[in-house]
Amino acid sequence: MPDTPQKSPTDLEWDPVYLHARKEAWLILGVWFLAMLWTLPVSYFNGFDSQVDIEQVTFIWGMPSWVFWGIGLPWMVANLITIWFCFCYFSTDDLEPPESNENSANQETAGDA
Amino acid sequence: MIPITPLAAAQSSTALIVFLIYTLAVFGLAAFSNYLLKSKSFLSEYFLGSRSLGVWAFALTFAATSASGGSFTGFPARIYTHGWILALWIASYMVVPICTMGFLGKRINQVARLSDAITVPDVIRDRFRSPGLGLLSVSLIVFFMSFNLVAQFKAGSKILITLLGDNDTFQKGVAWTQSVTSNWSILEGVAPDYFLCLSLFAVAVIAYTTYGGFHAVVWTDVMQGVVMVIGVIIMLPLALYQVGGTSQLASEFREMTPPKVGFLNVTSSLPLDQPQTLNARWVILDSEAEEGMRLLRLNTPIILPAQKEGESKVSTQEIRYVELTTPIEIERQFQRLKEQDELTTFRSEVMSALEASRDTSSRSEVTSALQQVEQIETATLNNIPGMNLDFEVIVEREDAYGAGKPGVYAMGPGPAGPDLKNKSEEELKKDETSLMTSLGFLPFSVAVSFFFMWAISGSGQPSNMVRLMAFNNSITLKKSIFTVAMYYSMIYFPLVLIFCSARILLPGLELDPDSIMPRIAVELTANAGQAWLAGLLVAAPFAAIMSTVDSFLLMISSAVVRDIYQRNINPDASDTRIKYMSYLTTLIIGVIAMAGAINPPRFLQDIIVYTGSGLSACFLGPIVFALYWPRMNREGMYGGMLAGFAAHFSMYAAGMKINGSFFKAWQPMGIDPIVIGLFVSFVTTFVVASLTPPPDESLVDRYFRRGKANPEK
Repeated sequence: MPDTPQKSPTDLEWDPVYLHARKEAWLILGVWFLAMLWTLPVSYFNGFDSQVDIEQVTFIWGMPSWVFWGIGLPWMVANLITIWFCFCYFSTDDLEPPESNENSANQETAGDA
Repeated sequence: MIPITPLAAAQSSTALIVFLIYTLAVFGLAAFSNYLLKSKSFLSEYFLGSRSLGVWAFALTFAATSASGGSFTGFPARIYTHGWILALWIASYMVVPICTMGFLGKRINQVARLSDAITVPDVIRDRFRSPGLGLLSVSLIVFFMSFNLVAQFKAGSKILITLLGDNDTFQKGVAWTQSVTSNWSILEGVAPDYFLCLSLFAVAVIAYTTYGGFHAVVWTDVMQGVVMVIGVIIMLPLALYQVGGTSQLASEFREMTPPKVGFLNVTSSLPLDQPQTLNARWVILDSEAEEGMRLLRLNTPIILPAQKEGESKVSTQEIRYVELTTPIEIERQFQRLKEQDELTTFRSEVMSALEASRDTSSRSEVTSALQQVEQIETATLNNIPGMNLDFEVIVEREDAYGAGKPGVYAMGPGPAGPDLKNKSEEELKKDETSLMTSLGFLPFSVAVSFFFMWAISGSGQPSNMVRLMAFNNSITLKKSIFTVAMYYSMIYFPLVLIFCSARILLPGLELDPDSIMPRIAVELTANAGQAWLAGLLVAAPFAAIMSTVDSFLLMISSAVVRDIYQRNINPDASDTRIKYMSYLTTLIIGVIAMAGAINPPRFLQDIIVYTGSGLSACFLGPIVFALYWPRMNREGMYGGMLAGFAAHFSMYAAGMKINGSFFKAWQPMGIDPIVIGLFVSFVTTFVVASLTPPPDESLVDRYFRRGKANPEK
């Protein structure tokens, strides 16, 4: 996100859950982008009839090879990355509201400015 | 309405028994959920399950709700119609679990806990202390989801018709419904079997959702999620085996060309006293010698009209057909028909029709003619002397993209052609000349849009967000992302293989592709000698659609009870009052959706796409900034939601002008409205929030900061 968090002048600091979640969100966007960078060009250049003749298309395990290399393989890699993300990268945070924030939470005033 | 073909296997009572067991199980779960409601805070339990979902419940409810009816009806139909390119269409599902659950999951759950929010509008309202934003988001959710709910009700009823089909008990029910409702003007033009199925579906879903609330929905989702994956696991090896293995699958796809479609007229001079129906579907026509045999699959039964006095011929108009064009496919299908005796069945049907005839000489003439036909290979229906049936092709169409191209089903962009469903010739011409069909099913630019569509726009669905607010802790979240990733891998990629095989096993269903899932289930299990399994397999699409409908129903009623009634009209309402309001609202909304589905809009799938992408265009950008950007303010939220709605809507409105239909959205350079809507929404949110005053510091403290462990004094 556009702002880089800095320490507040008060006794508060940036919530670690927010910082962790933001770091994980950036990584997820990166994974999505890489998946797209792999899948779309490989499928397009090897599997679209404007780029390649049907005679040249080979089949692997019953599926066209462009499906295997452009979708099947990255799908497996994406699963491995998901496993790594879940069990190595993801921070296990306490999501319950902290006691210290309870007071400020009660200062709500309703109404649009 | 398009006639829906009942399945042969559904004539047995298996399907009905499966449906009954299924419904009973669902009601059992609802009763147990209701028992839980008594011991907990009603609103939080009814609409959010008290934020207590563990891994299996959370993962499977998330997966099943996202899967929706589309995964088991629309998606298989598309694979069947367009081939392997659907693997690319669905490819971004490789990252959907990590994107849709991981991107917002942890933060939205935390923010919802901080403000004790139960619904998505709750989160937005509390995050910015703005009742106005709460009401805007409620309005958008109710607007989009109500339309979606009507479309889903129709889809559920259609599946139920296919499931129950010609079952005797069901047919008695249809006859009874017809007799009771024949005088109801509101049901004029509504098929009694559709109305009965709609009522059954609606009563089942409304009842268990109303009575059980969120937990009932979640548990039925879990059960439905299990049914879906078991269905796929059983079907995959059966399909590959019956098609002759993967190498056979490959060699068939190398040769396959798209079929021709069209209308034909049947003229009969059979002297019938009353109309007769011929149910056999395959017709062999004479053709030019060099083309060989023409094999046509009819989409509807032929109804031969009774002859009036003085008439020598009568015609049946515009029977839609699919004509196979791949030689290897024609040969194989012909052999199958021979084995199944379907051609003979056709002739015997004509014979029994003649039993009612007053002209005995004609009857004996036909009998003698049929007896002369000893070699079925040489028999064509329209040259048997005395048969008196003439088939005249009046409209014939080929795919605008891919016609006559062997191997087009194994490559991009995939064949695309006119859709004959309910279309006049004029509409067909528009279809053929439209850019959408002439470029093939999935041009590259559209493939890019779909990579956005599933992974990114899926994160923006309020029905997904509300589930992300319901898991119990972050360990559940990470285990669930893993579980859903494995679950989707077991479902989506195998589905492509299964329904590519279905092209070979059941050719000629291009005019009724939505029925391919139950048909292939019946075909695979019958061939394997395990017909009882069909009942379980055909329950999968029904399960998928139920799990989507119930969660949408609850989303709308929570929006009304929590966000409108409790937070704006009567904040001091007692628990008992809220409880009955919730029951009543869920019931009323369900009944309204059912009423809307009695005469449903025509463009079922289009409505589902429009509402799904519209919700994402409105909510994703603003929510992402609200969760991850401390500088975000309420002006940015208003700007982002309204701009996303307007940009997305205007693409569809422009489609009305340019493509002649609201549901054929304008796609500049092939870019889908969702991509434009998301882009406009993100940019507007950022620009408006940057140009307007920063938010109250107390809000930033509350949602982005936390007390230091050891604050410096």
